[in-house]
Amino acid sequence: MSASTIIFYILATLVVVFGALTVFSRKIFRAAISLLLSLTFVAGLYFLWDVDFIGALQIIIYVGGIIVLIIFSIFLTHHSGQKLPKAKVSKKLLSGTLAVAGLGFTTWVVSQFVFKPAVGVTPVEPNVHNIGLQMLNYSEYGYVFPFEVINILLLAALVGAIVIAIKKSQETEK
Amino acid sequence: MISMIQFSDVLAWIHQLLSSCMAPWLVFIIELVVASVAAVVALLVCVIIMVYMERKVAGHMQLRHGPNRVGWHGVCQLFADIIKLLLKECFTPTRADKLLFVVAPVLSLCVSLLALAPISWGPGLVLWNTNIGVLFVTAISSMGVIGILMAGWSSNNKYALMGAMRSGAQIVSYELSAGLSIVAIVALAGTLNTGGIIESQANGWWILKGHLPAFFAFIIYIIASTAECNRAPFDLAEAESELTAGYHTEYSGMQFGIFYLNEYINMGVVSMVASTLFLGGWQPFYLPFDFAWAHTFNDIMALKFMETWPAWISWVSLAWPLVWFFGKLFLIIFFMMWFRWTFPRLRIDQLLKLEWKYLLPLSIVNLVIIALLVVLGLHF
Amino acid sequence: MKALYNYLKEVAFAFVSLANGLLLTLKYFVTPWKSIITENYPDNRNNPSVADEFAGEVILIHDENNEHKCTACTLCQLACPNNSIQIISKQVETEDGKKKKVLDKWVYHLEMCTFCKQCIDACPQDAIKMTNSYELSCFDRSTLTKILNQPGSKLKEKPKVTAKVQE
Repeated sequence: MSASTIIFYILATLVVVFGALTVFSRKIFRAAISLLLSLTFVAGLYFLWDVDFIGALQIIIYVGGIIVLIIFSIFLTHHSGQKLPKAKVSKKLLSGTLAVAGLGFTTWVVSQFVFKPAVGVTPVEPNVHNIGLQMLNYSEYGYVFPFEVINILLLAALVGAIVIAIKKSQETEK
Repeated sequence: MISMIQFSDVLAWIHQLLSSCMAPWLVFIIELVVASVAAVVALLVCVIIMVYMERKVAGHMQLRHGPNRVGWHGVCQLFADIIKLLLKECFTPTRADKLLFVVAPVLSLCVSLLALAPISWGPGLVLWNTNIGVLFVTAISSMGVIGILMAGWSSNNKYALMGAMRSGAQIVSYELSAGLSIVAIVALAGTLNTGGIIESQANGWWILKGHLPAFFAFIIYIIASTAECNRAPFDLAEAESELTAGYHTEYSGMQFGIFYLNEYINMGVVSMVASTLFLGGWQPFYLPFDFAWAHTFNDIMALKFMETWPAWISWVSLAWPLVWFFGKLFLIIFFMMWFRWTFPRLRIDQLLKLEWKYLLPLSIVNLVIIALLVVLGLHF
Repeated sequence: MKALYNYLKEVAFAFVSLANGLLLTLKYFVTPWKSIITENYPDNRNNPSVADEFAGEVILIHDENNEHKCTACTLCQLACPNNSIQIISKQVETEDGKKKKVLDKWVYHLEMCTFCKQCIDACPQDAIKMTNSYELSCFDRSTLTKILNQPGSKLKEKPKVTAKVQE
């Protein structure tokens, strides 16, 4: 077993363990921290696979952005320090069944897929330069269209946030 | 500097020496451990100097002597303080979340040390030569807030929680303008690799080559990174007069010591990034003019005259980039200390207003101007 | 346009004031031998430089004839917020048969004094003052209660004011 395989299994175990802790922890802040660690170790997997850019983006977006937002919203709720009440048995059964079904379905799909080495394809080096070129490429296999669509989506989200959060001026109140 | 010894030669020589007597995997592990320990120790030595410097700068700027009891002019004061902190009890409040309370300082220390990986200390002297260097540092510094939030929440203390929330709001917002000013230099240099950025400044630092916009980017970066380090005048997270000590109110002993250390490590990393991006990292000063005296000056700065000297003296040239690197590091750190002991603390609304209404629009405009400069090829 | 001009002027002024502050602290930093005002206290114990205004222990002023100016009016006692002053007076008979109140003991409880200087301000005779002494700690608490008037001291006779007015 090579070193990278060992590191992969360590990281994968950590991802799964902290993912499970996220679900099973009854203190909401601890659940958020577990989610953070799980996502950080996913970034570690990306670094292991030499897709550094994706790894850095995983940290910036998920850890630095989304988890911090989640933690802020936890701070703003009441009783964040207390243990959450235990879930009902029926709820536990239902969510357990759904989770197992999802896992089973994914395993089935993965087991059906035939993994074979790509032949005759020159791999693109995943550095920032190539990613940038590919992102704004408008020829075949370029990503400029999804890129612009996402831009419009984010712009709409920004405008929506401003509309919701803006203070009404006194003239419109009258 | 063709005839001179390079760091890469020294490293290759050490690698060869180790490989000749050991298995490859053992060599790999030894090199990994030695390199990372060397980087951390170098940073810790910097931190020791920084703490002493901070206390002396603070003292002299406030018309005091500063520490002058332990050793010559108080140079051993820090060691006395460390011994005191090590001997103190690490007290955990009864109603704190004990696990997170203990983990928080360690986590924040890990995060700030992670940011060291892509820093280029000298030519060929870098732990992780990655193509996303500066982006990685930005990503890691956005994680720094987590340790503070954990510490503030798990203390179960309202001052700590308020300090943590303020610090969170502050770090999340100031990251934007720091990131944009980094992007400005990345656009000029055309690479994210720290070594590449430094090499692109061999014919003049970006702060000189990039006209006024690069200078603005430098100022914005210094302001934003001071805020990211939670230092005065942006030390809202600690604000002694309102929040006792902010997020580390409940910490004592070495747990507090780690947070203290952390502040200085962050300062060091931020200054390293600033010197890499704007002041040419380990590159000596270079005048981008075409006069005879400028050429002579540049040759002296690059130690050209040492090429004809005997080989053993040229070992000195190995230290020359390090002298420049650490010189710039401490120059920027001195600026941050100077600001800290001159300006009064901002209020939280002033702080957020400064970022969202002034710095962020300014840095966006600045970035657009720099993009125009790059597209039109107007920079040197 | 005027508003924009004013705004820019304000911004420029703000930068100038920041630069002023920075220059001041830089001046302090680079010339420590001129600017440092703190004392190396235990080292210069034999030769301390204490400001004249420094408010230390209270004393009752005695001149060379062992005379003080305290008339035992107890204004200082009333002014003291901590009850650290006790004026004990006695009635004596003067030569011309009048009864007169004079100072017996000026009791000063140093352990309760906060050096607020209100007694000094209250005194109409300027009989008491505060010294520069600051090493006030001791091993026995009872030594902190002091009687300020020296044994055998008496009130300083005032020159006859009425006679002067007549001239």
